[in-house]
Amino acid sequence: MLDPASLTATSKPAATPLVRNAVRMITAPQMRPGTGVVGPPEPDLVRIRDLIYQVAGIFHPENKLCLLQERCNRRMKEIQIATLREYCECLILRPAGQAELIALLNEITIGETCFFRNQPHLDALRQIVIPRILETKAKFPFRRLRLWSAGCSTGEEPYTLSMLLMEETSRRLKDWTFEILATDLNERSLVHARNAVYGSYSTRNLTAYYRLKYFIPVGEQLQVNPAARASVTFSRINLSDDARMTFMRSIDIVFCCNVLIYFDLASKRRVIQHFYNNLLPHGYLFLGHSESLYGVSDDFRLVHLPGATAYVKTERTPAGGSSI
Amino acid sequence: MTTATKQVLMERMEGLRQIPAIPAVLTPLLRYRQQPAEQLDAHKVTDLLAQDKALAAQCLQMANSPLFGRWRRVDSLRGAAVSLGFHHLSDIAMSCGVLNLLPGGTSELDPIVFWEHSLGCALVCRHFARKINFGDPSKAYLAGLLHDLGIIVNLWVLPKEFRGTYELARREGIPLHEAEQKSLGFTHCDSGQLLAEHWELSPELAEVVTHHHNPPGSLNHTGLVALVQLADLLCRMRGFNYGYIEERQVNLLEESGFAVLAQHCPSLREFDWARLTFEMDSYMDDVHSLVRAIYPS
Repeated sequence: MLDPASLTATSKPAATPLVRNAVRMITAPQMRPGTGVVGPPEPDLVRIRDLIYQVAGIFHPENKLCLLQERCNRRMKEIQIATLREYCECLILRPAGQAELIALLNEITIGETCFFRNQPHLDALRQIVIPRILETKAKFPFRRLRLWSAGCSTGEEPYTLSMLLMEETSRRLKDWTFEILATDLNERSLVHARNAVYGSYSTRNLTAYYRLKYFIPVGEQLQVNPAARASVTFSRINLSDDARMTFMRSIDIVFCCNVLIYFDLASKRRVIQHFYNNLLPHGYLFLGHSESLYGVSDDFRLVHLPGATAYVKTERTPAGGSSI
Repeated sequence: MTTATKQVLMERMEGLRQIPAIPAVLTPLLRYRQQPAEQLDAHKVTDLLAQDKALAAQCLQMANSPLFGRWRRVDSLRGAAVSLGFHHLSDIAMSCGVLNLLPGGTSELDPIVFWEHSLGCALVCRHFARKINFGDPSKAYLAGLLHDLGIIVNLWVLPKEFRGTYELARREGIPLHEAEQKSLGFTHCDSGQLLAEHWELSPELAEVVTHHHNPPGSLNHTGLVALVQLADLLCRMRGFNYGYIEERQVNLLEESGFAVLAQHCPSLREFDWARLTFEMDSYMDDVHSLVRAIYPS
């Protein structure tokens, strides 16, 4: 994941009109809260949820509203605001709203990074997406897969992908080579990623099988073994850097989870345009679990995989539009 | 489905006393739903439901679920009718009625899983219909709830054959209706059509039951059939499946139902499918806990 603090220095902050526009588009509260929440959803919480979806593209279903409430409470305590209504107004109306929105997004995505974070994504990648790509590429002379973890933070995601693909080397990926490009804006995160040493929080989802096969104990921590590290290449890239982005070519699958949420609409569109150009014709784009490209791009088509969603690159028609 | 197969199915259905006879309470309820709103008498409905004590108890349990927007406990059917309204109470009664249609004993397809799928699909149909301003959300709910009636027929009439079919579907990760076509030579749409005729379901519900895997095949209610097809598919891909994972990729815009429904709702072309998908997640926990609380009660 990108470091939002450094990101704001290199990407354009969202213009206030964008937020205002999003607020106008907020719909009335609907449905009902989920288990554990007594009573109908707090209207101001629903407004904040919808604001976050409009501006950042990340959605909290009703059964996750209590988590959003917790995150808001933390921020409200921090900036000494007493009610959700005031906090909602703070996000929308004040000039500081954009900075507060980023602070709230940080709270929302905190602790998101760990190995095997989104199992349905990974299952779908292994069972459906990779076989489809291999089928498409069977006629190509080079039997090579190239994945890109864009906004890889401290490296858990690209190493997970590496382990997953290694598991396939005796089956589907027999006679294939693969590489994983892992990029982030934050140099400190990249140093951590290259060291590949992780504590209990990052490794909490690891099964005994993966722990034994791909990790070496280092004191109280675990280090990814050299075999799993070998196929991952880390480099520092700012997704808003057009020149660097142009050089990322022939990618089969992009993983960009909880990164775009920090970008304003114009920057987001530019990054997505780059992903479109970077990907091969059959390419896939995976976003975070409840992250959406709605209203951002028509160049990708939402597809449903078992328990997960992904975006597939569409072919452009001669008129310049996208075909289904 | 060949004429010979149809004949066999009909004979087996006739031979069964318990099912597929529509539960006594639900027949008048279905008829009631066809009446204009001003003619509806909620008391008549509650009196009707009260005749079946087990059903009434299930209805009350369901009426107190957040799925139906209740935040204060209701202790009587009359209370539920007042606070939820006729259509919601009738949706609840129909939902419990479907649960009671399922055969007991061992089956490859867990009745709980089937009911979760039906209930999940009903809720998604209702929500989806509201979002795209498609007709009566309560009608969409009922259509989603009953779309797989044919599976109930198969479970009762062909338990052994259906077990093999289900195993095939699970092993190959393919849709159930494809496995049925492969192994039985017909699908639950065909057997559901027979039951719909037997029960004298309304024409629109009969079309949903018969064509929900092929909306262009329906004649007069294509929009509703298409809405159910898309909601059903979303449910199966997102977790309200039949107890196994369909190993495939679905682009809803390429489904036949999308083009059909878009003719009825032009706004569908700009629809936010991602948001609908994420919103579905909020039903999961509630449906799981409700189903487990009620079944078998």
